[in-house]
Amino acid sequence: MKLTFFFAALLPGLYWDLGPNTADTVKPASIERLFVPPAQQSAWTAAGIPVKAFDITQFIKLPSPGVERRMNVATATSMPWVDANGWRIERDPHRPYYYDVPWRHAALAAAEAYVYGAEAVVRLEPRDLSAFSQMLAFLKEVDLPAMPVLANIGIIDDGSDETGEVFNLLARRNLLYRIVRSPEPQYDLNIQIGSKEFPKEEALDPFAFATLVRQKLTDEKRYLRIYGSEVVLGQLAGDAKRLRVHLLNYGGGKVEGLRVRVRGAYQHAKSAVFGIDNAALADFGHSDGGTEFTVPRMGPYAIVDLE
Amino acid sequence: MNRRAFLQSAAVTPAVLAARLGDDLPKYRIVSQYQPAAQPGMPGPYPGKVVRVHSAKSIDEQTEKVDAAIVRDMISQGMRALTGDADVRDSWARFFNSGDTVGIKVNCSGAPGIMSTPEVVGEIVRNLTGLGIKPSQIWIYERFQNQVNTVHYDRFVPADVHIWTAEHDRGSIAGYDPRTYVDVNFFGEDDTRSNLARVVTEHVTKIINVPNMKDHGAAGVTGCLKNIAYGSFSNVARSHAGFKTNTYSFIGTLASVEPLRSRTVLAVMDGLRGVWHGGPFSPNRKFRFYPKQMMFGTDPVAMDRLLLDVIDGKRKTEHATSVWDRSMAHIKSGPGYDDNPRIDRFVREPGHIEYASTLGLGVYDLAKIQTRKIEL
Repeated sequence: MKLTFFFAALLPGLYWDLGPNTADTVKPASIERLFVPPAQQSAWTAAGIPVKAFDITQFIKLPSPGVERRMNVATATSMPWVDANGWRIERDPHRPYYYDVPWRHAALAAAEAYVYGAEAVVRLEPRDLSAFSQMLAFLKEVDLPAMPVLANIGIIDDGSDETGEVFNLLARRNLLYRIVRSPEPQYDLNIQIGSKEFPKEEALDPFAFATLVRQKLTDEKRYLRIYGSEVVLGQLAGDAKRLRVHLLNYGGGKVEGLRVRVRGAYQHAKSAVFGIDNAALADFGHSDGGTEFTVPRMGPYAIVDLE
Repeated sequence: MNRRAFLQSAAVTPAVLAARLGDDLPKYRIVSQYQPAAQPGMPGPYPGKVVRVHSAKSIDEQTEKVDAAIVRDMISQGMRALTGDADVRDSWARFFNSGDTVGIKVNCSGAPGIMSTPEVVGEIVRNLTGLGIKPSQIWIYERFQNQVNTVHYDRFVPADVHIWTAEHDRGSIAGYDPRTYVDVNFFGEDDTRSNLARVVTEHVTKIINVPNMKDHGAAGVTGCLKNIAYGSFSNVARSHAGFKTNTYSFIGTLASVEPLRSRTVLAVMDGLRGVWHGGPFSPNRKFRFYPKQMMFGTDPVAMDRLLLDVIDGKRKTEHATSVWDRSMAHIKSGPGYDDNPRIDRFVREPGHIEYASTLGLGVYDLAKIQTRKIEL
């Protein structure tokens, strides 16, 4: 394991373009990084509210995080398509990002940006301001000093769209990876698309490629398994003694009974679940070199700390 | 894999089976802390024995109204014939006592068109309470709340009987035991676990399996085995993809998991109504029929073996494809299957019943099945 990345404690900012006459709406939200259109900056400042001018050209716009339900008629079951941005942020971690999200997506966008250490600004539906503000308060409360990200897989990024889609599919399936410049021995599997082991033509079908990667890695070695939801993506940070499990629920609703398995035997656990006071884990135990627990109920974001 | 998990895996994949089926079967890993009973409920004390009770007046084909008095008589005669007792109370007492907490695994996947008939379930509950089992010690269970909501069992049983479902919200696994599961990767799905319902591991000491007589587009038929297996575990629909289904080996494997196998001590197959095409659902009444019979036994394989002939016989009468037909010529995706009995959605796997027999769950050979028929 190597210190390849650190979570940043920079909380997402808010882009608010409704004008200083809405100051009474914004003030209670206690937003620390408030962005406004350049033309409104002086009026906001005059109203006593510190703001920054928002220059959209300086930001990379991200899709709204969430899911799309697409019926798969062949299996008579629904396979949700998850729109998640972690792979985009990891590919270019030092750029500032911008979300423009519909109602009920702002809290998830804030959590996603935080988990992947992005400097981000969120434009939201005004009725989402309270949820966004509550998420920022939650993130502030749970924030810890940076820890290294844990992953099974190192991938060399050739910058192509195909490789980007591979990142997307690996993340979607909780096959934890890091982008590397060259193969690194601490990873269970190193991938260079175009190599003999991972031919470029295989990557043209990202779903099949992710399956190939999973087979080569084997489920037994995976740092993270998630059971009971197809729409929760995880990220791990920690070291040999402690581990922080980030769980992002892209489904929009509550997830109940989420079962999580992490590699390694941890003895103590505590959780923080956005929107739920005093959340406790259930059915904590160990088996086959792993630690398992259940998150009884969660909304867009939950954290589990293991020691 | 811990030792218990290994032992259970070994128990369900005997060498003889592996030799016959080669490497075609998925690799199952069963994880359970429960040990089998000295005599597991399946196949129980009556392997290979099935009692069939038929009454032409049990249900009105036009109104689908069930005659509760006739149902009572059918159950009484069926249970007495199964055990050989003169008094039906003695028959029930062979399986249950006042200290038991009893689960009743109903089938509501075809509700409200077809389900474990409330009058049948009500009569089973009446017999249990007659043994001194309190209503609060009885748990009617099924997986999906939205299906059970359409049946209203509460109108047919005492108020304190639990009516429990594993999934109030479809897809939630909170109602399943995280420590008792079958792990298998069929098609590359990421969630490879199917967990046993908590009501089985945490509440009940015995289970009565009450399936219907139904066609099943993937499994061929759905009777005792499929109702207790797919009806007690999470995340089972993943066994089908495209035209292929893994019901052949998955159904029996699930049914063999402890404590489900040991605690399922009695099966009452409710064949007042049946579905001959489109099952397990029944949105289209033209595919319902009325066998007007019930089967009683402890051997799910033997009962399902008889069910195969009931469903396939009816399908032949209706010029539908046989449940044994493995031709790809009839397989079509899309909506045609729901309305055309000559279209299949999957290659059916009625062989799942014989496969279950190789796991020790019962007797498949018709020549060895003793059937007692009673006409009312």
